[in-house]
Amino acid sequence: MSEGLTRREPVPAEPVSGRDVIVRAAAPMARYALRARQASDVEKLLGRPVPHKIGDTDQGVLCLGPDEWLLLAPAGTALSAGEGAAVAVTEVSDRNIGIIVEGPRASEVLAAGCPLDFDRFNVGRATRTIFETVEVIIQRAAADRFHVEVWRSFAPWLWTAFATVASE
Amino acid sequence: MILIHCPYCDEKRAELEFAYAGQAHIARPADPSALSDEEWEHYLFIRANPRGRHHERWRHIHGCGRFFNAVRDTVTDKFETTYKAGEPRK
Repeated sequence: MSEGLTRREPVPAEPVSGRDVIVRAAAPMARYALRARQASDVEKLLGRPVPHKIGDTDQGVLCLGPDEWLLLAPAGTALSAGEGAAVAVTEVSDRNIGIIVEGPRASEVLAAGCPLDFDRFNVGRATRTIFETVEVIIQRAAADRFHVEVWRSFAPWLWTAFATVASE
Repeated sequence: MILIHCPYCDEKRAELEFAYAGQAHIARPADPSALSDEEWEHYLFIRANPRGRHHERWRHIHGCGRFFNAVRDTVTDKFETTYKAGEPRK
């Protein structure tokens, strides 16, 4: 029955163009939450190095905590369930959606609801934080582009907040 | 806004990313069934309530997710220091 249901995105497909900034929904992607005591166990599972320092990113792997990584990959990317490895692999592809804030005023839009200094974020740096009351994961994807991961149910509110600030 | 130093992220972050998690350094008794009712009550419910330095647990819940320990002054609300869970009392 679920096949007959239409997929509805929580945010509009059309981007919002504000003053010197564009807010748009990111394409659907695969997301995996990886928890392990040792980074080496995650590296064994993925077959490549992962960042060890909290906040660092390497090819879509975000180090969010001392024992937590988030893998962002193109939609449909499959990952082994990690049988036998000391890694907890949880697929969370549809828990979050991505919102992209791009343009010279991108950091200003985020600063409207978050006290972190995004101008001093190095490109690639990622962190979990709070925007007003909503928990988000913010990654500086490029000098003037931020990728914001947010839970689906919070997305309409966050979208409206971004769009409002962007147009101010 | 109070800034709290997270010993895992090794940087100061805004208070709103953190959650208070009670008094620190309370170890669960190794053999609860050997305790008297009074001892068990003391473990479960009796907490220090000092005026001044207080050892407490905090969690960087909207950041790295980790619990850590802090020494906070309950009068001034100033954080004296924070350190990783498992490290000796400071």
